[in-house]
Amino acid sequence: MFLRIFPNLINLLSFITLATTVLLIVRGNLTAQVRVFALQSGVLAILAAVVAVSADSMNLLGVALVVALVKGWIIPSVLRRAVTKIGLHDWVAPYLSASAALVVVGLLVGIAFYVMGPVVAADARPTAKAIPLALAGVLNGFFVTVYRRRALTQILGFLMLENSIFLLVMLATYGVPFIVEMGIFLDVLVAVLISEVFIYRIKENFDSIDVDHLGALKG
Amino acid sequence: MMLIILLGIPLMAAVLIALARHRVRMEIAHTVAALGTLGMGIVVASLVWRFDGSPSSPSGALVALGGLLRVDALSALMVIIIALLDAITALYALGYMRADADGADPRRLRQFFALFHLFIFTMLLAVTTDNVGVLWIAVEGTTLATVFLVNLHNTRTSLEAAYKYLIISSVGIAMAFIGTALVYYAGAPKAGEVAMSWTALRAAAPTLSPQIMRLAFAFILIGYGTKAGLAPMHTWLPDAHSEAPAPISALMSGVLLNVGLYALMRFKTVTDLAVGPAFAARWLVGIGVLSLAVAAVFLLTQRHYKRMLAYSSVEHVGMICLGLGFGAYGGALGALLHVINHALSKSMLFLLSGNILLKYHTNDMNEVSGLLRASPWTGGAFLAGTLALVGLPPFGPFLSEFIILRAGLESPSAWAAFVGMGLLVIVFAGMMGRVNRMLYGRPPESMARGDVLTWPLAPLAVNFLLLIGLGLTLPPALLRVLNQALKVLGV
Repeated sequence: MFLRIFPNLINLLSFITLATTVLLIVRGNLTAQVRVFALQSGVLAILAAVVAVSADSMNLLGVALVVALVKGWIIPSVLRRAVTKIGLHDWVAPYLSASAALVVVGLLVGIAFYVMGPVVAADARPTAKAIPLALAGVLNGFFVTVYRRRALTQILGFLMLENSIFLLVMLATYGVPFIVEMGIFLDVLVAVLISEVFIYRIKENFDSIDVDHLGALKG
Repeated sequence: MMLIILLGIPLMAAVLIALARHRVRMEIAHTVAALGTLGMGIVVASLVWRFDGSPSSPSGALVALGGLLRVDALSALMVIIIALLDAITALYALGYMRADADGADPRRLRQFFALFHLFIFTMLLAVTTDNVGVLWIAVEGTTLATVFLVNLHNTRTSLEAAYKYLIISSVGIAMAFIGTALVYYAGAPKAGEVAMSWTALRAAAPTLSPQIMRLAFAFILIGYGTKAGLAPMHTWLPDAHSEAPAPISALMSGVLLNVGLYALMRFKTVTDLAVGPAFAARWLVGIGVLSLAVAAVFLLTQRHYKRMLAYSSVEHVGMICLGLGFGAYGGALGALLHVINHALSKSMLFLLSGNILLKYHTNDMNEVSGLLRASPWTGGAFLAGTLALVGLPPFGPFLSEFIILRAGLESPSAWAAFVGMGLLVIVFAGMMGRVNRMLYGRPPESMARGDVLTWPLAPLAVNFLLLIGLGLTLPPALLRVLNQALKVLGV
């Protein structure tokens, strides 16, 4: 029974992961964006747990727990604290309108399927068919990082990119060796803590977290 | 055991400095750690290089932690470069942090010295691990360790530089992780869990799916290319390298860029075995030429001397990339030799730029004049370093660029060698003209004669003598070591 629904479950969870990335692009409110990120991390934790059960791996179950803890709880709390501290009053328009952004998203998804489709076609594993969805998530996270103007949203974009890479690795190889996975969590956590400090410093120096202020260095 | 001590020294130093209360204790821990790292680096490298690959001593690789750490001849070369520049820069940093206004703040001083050694630790980990996943973690670690160092002076411009550096490098390096994951994906069916080991990947390389490996290498090139400062992913480099304090700029330009290149070399070897050498070569030559071109354009119009040095780094990593792309024995040999030469000359110039900044209190070249009269030692060494950097004999970079370009003329991409030569002439004109104006002329009236820091410059004699030595000959011992490293790369 489980083996039969396993591929469908994986496809569904991968699809939700991609959908949350798109949601981040559409939402303008920072608190909502942080919530979207926490939701996405929760979905990934469930996915890792499902893969763990199917592959019968304790290590993967540990990874699922760490995802839930670090990305579902600690990092969103850090970001929420930053949002409260700097206040939310300055709404900054993105460079593109929501509809234009959605067109780009559609294009990126198309590219992901075009590039990855042939690669996974030969792969018989039950998770392989969802790999293009993960690559689409990667490209969209990348897009958010460059197209949003607020420092905090850029960081969220980077985190979503990171999440999609995690998904990609989970689908393609059932995760990387345990020690590498833990090292990556450490890097990501430290990166978030550092960016929190930078958000405060930018706010202090420029009285806004609009990255357009950061344009003095040229040439 | 040796490897654990080598990595343990800078890590312990970072912890001890973070806990230290007095300036003197921080300085002692800092100096002992830097010299200790150099000592261990020499021990490790000589142990590895003792073996020459002959049947009686086939492989001299040192292994520790169940294969997680593995130092072969190529790693040993990188270890020596990191350890040597660590020691030279650390000694200069002692004097620099006493002269610099921000060095008076004990909190900032602690941050500087502790992160300095954490930075060294991450770089050493990157070049001594055999696991490509850990390599990635360590390279991302270098960004995280240096981002506060770039922002040490806490000015608006350094804040901008550090933030861009954090975001661009992290996103770039994320691409490298996709590449690493794809390589693992290609290798996992053959080797299982060990497919994260470079040695296992290399052994299995001919059987890896060429389709996946091509895609993986594209991601790797973008990712580690960002870290190496290759155009068009170089945009963070001039900002971060010019805003960081001089000793950190010296390490970032002289050593950290090489760590990115080192990762590229490792993956190129595996990719070449899986899909044939022409694929990676085409990309590397293209990106190398582009980097040279971008650097040449910005060097012609540069007004800021630290930015000038930063763009010159883009030029030199472009050159190394060309060498790797031209391939064969000559190209790869020239590339490795150029890694050494660039590390020596660029770290020397960035340290000297610290002296200039302390003396003139400006980054603007137009406001710096009469350097040779105002600070004879700094000025003289700056002149020598610039001559080395633009590729004039009798300095090392002349020889390595010559070897690379000659290999280019014999390769299928001879056009790139011609374009490269033309761009080198532009770089020469751009840099020499500007540096001349800094060196000659009259110093400002009110300025006192004399160098700001003299004894901290003493270690630069090592850079100078090595650069001259490498420009005049290629010592047989060095050639043997380079050949061992090239064998690791499969050349």
